[in-house]
Amino acid sequence: MNNFSSKTAIAGYGATEFSKNSGRSELRLAVEATLAALADAGIDPGEVDGMSSFVMDNNSEQEIFRAIGGKDLKFFSRIGQGGGASCAPLQQAAMAIACGVAKVVVCYRAMNERSEYRFGTPMHSLPPTSDNVIFAYHGAAGLMTPAAMIALMMRRYMHETGATSLDFANYAVTARKFAATNPNAFFYGKPITIADHQASRMIADPLRLLDCCQESDGGVAIVVTSAERARDLRQKPVYIRAAAQGSPGGSVSLGGFYRDDISPRDESAAAARQLYAQSGLGPKDIQAAILYDHFGPSILPSLEAYGFCARGEAKDFIKNGNIEIGGTLPLNMHGGQLGEAYIHGVNGITEAVRQLRGQAVNQVPGVKTMLVTGGSGLPTSAAILGVE
Amino acid sequence: MSYNVENDRGHNAPCSNRDFDFFYRGLVDQRLLVQKCSDCGTLRSLPSPCCPHCRSFDWQEYPLSGKGVIHSYVIHYHPPLPGFTSPHPVVLADMEEGVRILAAMDGTPPESVTIGTAVTTEFVRRGDVAGLRFRLV
Ligand SMILES: [Zn+2]
Repeated sequence: MNNFSSKTAIAGYGATEFSKNSGRSELRLAVEATLAALADAGIDPGEVDGMSSFVMDNNSEQEIFRAIGGKDLKFFSRIGQGGGASCAPLQQAAMAIACGVAKVVVCYRAMNERSEYRFGTPMHSLPPTSDNVIFAYHGAAGLMTPAAMIALMMRRYMHETGATSLDFANYAVTARKFAATNPNAFFYGKPITIADHQASRMIADPLRLLDCCQESDGGVAIVVTSAERARDLRQKPVYIRAAAQGSPGGSVSLGGFYRDDISPRDESAAAARQLYAQSGLGPKDIQAAILYDHFGPSILPSLEAYGFCARGEAKDFIKNGNIEIGGTLPLNMHGGQLGEAYIHGVNGITEAVRQLRGQAVNQVPGVKTMLVTGGSGLPTSAAILGVE
Repeated sequence: MSYNVENDRGHNAPCSNRDFDFFYRGLVDQRLLVQKCSDCGTLRSLPSPCCPHCRSFDWQEYPLSGKGVIHSYVIHYHPPLPGFTSPHPVVLADMEEGVRILAAMDGTPPESVTIGTAVTTEFVRRGDVAGLRFRLV
């Protein structure tokens, strides 16, 4: 197999502030993040020849490119499934560069997902695409929000594993503890307790408000180039050890209710198999992780899908302190999307870059290999990143 | 913008296509329909144009009895839903024919909705659209 493992690296990243009202256009957020990422890498914007994002980003590739004074865009791609695809642009970039199609690829995500629109609202009046006729079919039952769709999956997971809302609280409290010491986090200085979690109102039972990610304005960009080039640049290269998409048979976008196991796990397991095969690494080699937390409870099946614990054991894995710094798998040290911001998972990739460079605020000492994942419960993506 | 164009498909459910029309027509006639492959006989619930087992495009409408057991559920609280009152139960049931059906379970107290509970189907109107919901047996 032609393997792109470790042939490319993240050479730079950039981000705007994360807020509830950015006060400027989404395109401007994307351009600010892109230029910051290129400056971080030490690459002139005129060298960019590839761009990749995923759907639900309102900024076109060529408009960002026009704004940064780009010269010749040769590769541009956009992956389906929203937050499930958050790591897919890394795979796109790695493949494009390994094949010689492009040399410098910017992966980006920028949105005013609080001040200009909101993902959590009921979906209706949709064009009848193949996915939307399914959302409408489920919507006719009153299943209309991502929270409710994941809640339906998690209720079954709780039934099968014995996990409870208190187990979900353990994750939420840990994420908010990390956010409390991250000045870039919206919930900086605002930790919560188990009691706070349990007192928070129901959104879609079993999901409470403090199980839900935030709604955020902000932009993030990542610059990928060849490993060889990255070694000559300003920053320590963060190698793409593996990157994969996962969508096994039976996957439906936030609606995989017709297969044996409806918990949000199968897509993640499919991505995991590829990551470990590509990289020659296994779960034991992963020293810290950024697992996508659109809803905190989904962390439990994700821990199992990526092989960190056996089916049903995630609740004890978390309770026993494994996801703390100093534990076997420090998790979402930026505070996750519950605590830092919801930039559709891409702010998790930048946290992994900071950790691997040794520049994070909640630093895992000596971390060299990390997993980052996209959203679960729909076709997904993930990557293993590492430093020498 | 509206995508609910006038059509002669025999129902007025919003956002359907020609693979899903039979299901909504069935509700108009107070029938809960799934697809049955004409070649291998496999039932499929979430509509699709082709049998994933034998790849046949030929299928027939197959009426379910409406009886099932709750496989999972969610009680929706927030934000408010158009056409439903919160808290609103939504139920995924294992039907006795071996397929799953997702439907509302409004009209039943949320605390009565639990995994493993037997349910049956009733047909309702939601505004001017034909619908269905589960209720306790
Ligand atoms: Zn068949």
